[in-house]
Amino acid sequence: MIFYQVLVNGVVLGSLYACIAVGFSLVWGVLNIINLMHGSFIVLGAYLALLAYSSLGLAPWWTVAVAAVLFFGVGYLIQRFLINRVVAAPVMLSLTLTFGLDLIIQNAMIYFFKADYRALNLNPALGSVALGTVVVPVDRLIATIFALLLTFALYVVLRKSRIGRAIVAVRVDQDAARLLGVDIRSIYAIAFGIGTAMAASAGTLLALTFPIAPVVSYAFLGKAFVVCVLGGLGSVPGAVLGGLLLGLVESFGSYAIGPEFAVMLSFGLLIAFLIARPQGILGRRGFE
Amino acid sequence: MSYAFVRSGLVAARSALAVLIAGAGLGLSGASVHAADVIKFGAPLPLTGALSPEAVKAKQGFEVWMDMVNKAGGIKVGDRKMKVEVVFVDYQSSTPKAVQAAESLITQEKVDFLFSPHGSGAAKAASNVSEKYKVPTVAATASSTQVFDQKPKYLFGTYTPNETLLGPLFPLVKAKLPTLKKVALYTRNDLFPLSLAQAIENNIKESGLEVVFNEKFAINTLDHSSALSQLKGAQPDWIFVTGYINDNLLIRKQMIDQRLQAPVVTMITGPSFPEFVKAAGVAGSENITGAAWWDAAVRYKSDDVFGSTEGYLRAFKEKFGSTPDYGSASYTVAAVALQMAIERAGSIDREKVRDALAKLNVNTFFGPIHFNEMGQADSYSPPIFQLQNGKTVVLYPPSVKQGELHLGVK
Amino acid sequence: MSKFLAIGALLVLLVFAPLSGDAYLVRLGTLACMYAVMAASWNLIGGLTGYPSFGTAAFFGVGAYTSGILCKMGVALPLAVLGAGLLGVVLAAIIGFILLRLKGHYFAIATLAIVELFREVANSATDLTGGGMGLNIPRHEGLGVYQEAAIFFFAMWALLAITAAVCLFVERSKIGFALACIRQAEGSAEMIGVDSTFYKTLVFALSGVFVAMAGGLYASWVHYIEPGDVFDILLTIKPVVMALIGGVGSTVGAIVGAIVYVTFEEAIWRNYLDFSSGIIGLTIVGLVLFLPRGLGSLRLRWRPRASTP
Repeated sequence: MIFYQVLVNGVVLGSLYACIAVGFSLVWGVLNIINLMHGSFIVLGAYLALLAYSSLGLAPWWTVAVAAVLFFGVGYLIQRFLINRVVAAPVMLSLTLTFGLDLIIQNAMIYFFKADYRALNLNPALGSVALGTVVVPVDRLIATIFALLLTFALYVVLRKSRIGRAIVAVRVDQDAARLLGVDIRSIYAIAFGIGTAMAASAGTLLALTFPIAPVVSYAFLGKAFVVCVLGGLGSVPGAVLGGLLLGLVESFGSYAIGPEFAVMLSFGLLIAFLIARPQGILGRRGFE
Repeated sequence: MSYAFVRSGLVAARSALAVLIAGAGLGLSGASVHAADVIKFGAPLPLTGALSPEAVKAKQGFEVWMDMVNKAGGIKVGDRKMKVEVVFVDYQSSTPKAVQAAESLITQEKVDFLFSPHGSGAAKAASNVSEKYKVPTVAATASSTQVFDQKPKYLFGTYTPNETLLGPLFPLVKAKLPTLKKVALYTRNDLFPLSLAQAIENNIKESGLEVVFNEKFAINTLDHSSALSQLKGAQPDWIFVTGYINDNLLIRKQMIDQRLQAPVVTMITGPSFPEFVKAAGVAGSENITGAAWWDAAVRYKSDDVFGSTEGYLRAFKEKFGSTPDYGSASYTVAAVALQMAIERAGSIDREKVRDALAKLNVNTFFGPIHFNEMGQADSYSPPIFQLQNGKTVVLYPPSVKQGELHLGVK
Repeated sequence: MSKFLAIGALLVLLVFAPLSGDAYLVRLGTLACMYAVMAASWNLIGGLTGYPSFGTAAFFGVGAYTSGILCKMGVALPLAVLGAGLLGVVLAAIIGFILLRLKGHYFAIATLAIVELFREVANSATDLTGGGMGLNIPRHEGLGVYQEAAIFFFAMWALLAITAAVCLFVERSKIGFALACIRQAEGSAEMIGVDSTFYKTLVFALSGVFVAMAGGLYASWVHYIEPGDVFDILLTIKPVVMALIGGVGSTVGAIVGAIVYVTFEEAIWRNYLDFSSGIIGLTIVGLVLFLPRGLGSLRLRWRPRASTP
């Protein structure tokens, strides 16, 4: 019976991971930029949710919309004026740039929010639901559902809207897209903005599940990496699959060989995929 | 050929210039003056980075002491009084940086005495520096015996060893729960929690109990659900969780998510801090037991600058408007111990103060302070408490007992 | 010839540090030499070959633990450091063989994952490494503070001299030429007969051996290491920033960058308590955006226009 509990744990955890990673995957796939600030944006979204709840009594699912819009703007500006300058540059340069920017954001967060851990406790608490012997916490369930909804919405936008199709076009073949009249710079900025918006939205929901502090961003970033490699870059369904795979592996692995090896497992899996199937389950080979 | 020569010369010259300018900048900022009537103490603190909440408390602990001492004219050294100054340096929550900070304080700031950085690991690393330079150092928060196992001459720790923390809880629980048999341990893979877990395992063996679950979790684990599901399956009577406040908050939350219940749940660290109750909620924290080296509920009469525990609480409240927790009190008593050693030595000569520390046997607001031959305090019993209705209720030692142990953590 | 002169000038400059009589300055000098070794080593694989490796921290940690464990078993320090270097080479060759088929971002991520993996392994192998409780390396009794500092300084300085010599040799030799070909167009390089696998693995191994030895010295220098201290991503990022400061692709640049960065960070650390990491971040951003070719690209007015390397 514990098998089902571990399975459910894995699926729920995996959905959270997918939520964390989908914006990161988009940016990496479309702009070929690894955005090391991604984790910090998630944490900033969480702080927004904390603030909204403590001062206005707004539950996180209302704050999601605000977070998405606000951070879309932030991301757009950052890309347009800073990241754009290194989009075509060697990998190390863009990595170092986002690293430096992340240092600044981290320092600012510690200065304004202090480094102690804070949790969002809804009143009344959400509790958990039980299906037989399997127990699922309601907040994770809500986060999972929202994550899947957001991800689905993104998928629809990418496939159906004009901007979305332009983004996909740039991802598939930049030069052809340019020839067809797509304004690459503007697409880059929009894609980055979307990535940041997804990160912040994920963060507002994650505030229900994890205690929040500036330093938590690195843990989120680490998971995002692994999910992207597993699932394939720039692919929204890939992020979902990659997240689920990681969640299940960690859940069962922790049960089978012990929780202290959970982190090792995720990075080991990452390396294995990179060697055997770098494009991930669903992705096409990313730019190199 | 000559162009290349000139070019390389320019490269070398530019680099030299850069180094010289930087060095000059260093020189202008670094050196400090040592005033005649002031005793300088060095305090490396993790003012930024993951541990910064601890640094905030530590700084408060030092500041309330500094104020009290300087208000009274300073420390009595022989026949004169000398004021005190604590120099703070940020080691960014990085242990290698803490070592560098210790050396910087000794050689650049020229402090007379040193306090250890926060925690057991960093204290151990930094003690290599203070041992080399022969500077008496007091560690405010180093409880793991591993810190002292190389018998440092100049390092003294005001925390009693981890082994003393939870021992007294066992008979208390046994008395309330005669059917006590199965115990579960869940430990963070880090120096202090591991050391504590080892001590708890010894306690368990001595009490004749059975360990049904014993796992470690990696630092930065985001999800404990699988481990907790397993733990639940083992149906323990008593669960021990050792980690830092963020781990314990997450674990507690996931325990509730998984509807994991047990008669007794003990968590170190976290429950002693008001932030824990705030984050976990009154219901979430109900009946969690914990222990700490001090609690605001203890009452001691003392020969130190505060006069008694109440005196300390008053001074702290006056300065910061709140009640101190053991995070701040630990740093205050480290300073107090050093002060009393200086007074008894009658001088600020490092060897004399070191010997005075080794012989120290005094009453402080924190409890009696005396160090064993390894350098760790062995003179008081850390209070054990339980969170009831959002408040800490002290269960032990009997002299300050405030209430009874309640069973049942939902 | 010119590059050797520049390196020689720098090394001579560094040697003056211990003469100041200030043990702390000597510590800074040792740190600068250590980072210079790491920056120059990274430059081999990252700058010359164009493979962005995050692995520096992995080699450093492996070297630190190898030497630490050997010292604990009673092996003399020079042998322990050599042992660390040996293991570094072997590991680099194995890892390189597996990972060097990846390129660009994927290579970067893979090497990053290696660091994280090694850290967790060190955390778990408690019997060997002390696990989360850290490893104590025996102190050297009978040495004065200043003497010990000076010994470690000269050891690190000597390591830097060797590293610099090897790196310069690689830069100027046929190997360096092959690496440049690989960096610019690997496919074409293969077509004209450059055995890229051989050269890449060779240079990756070289980039690991000196870093591992630096780690080995470090462990004995500080006497206590924990997995999180030595398998720290910052130990990779900082050398990259240093190489950036000096100009990527140049050994001289990497060494200069290391010295400049260490002094700069020290000055910031002393003076700006609350914002030190933010200021460092700002500097990094400024560097990448405005000086991506390093300080060397700041042209002094009377220099004749040279063709860019």
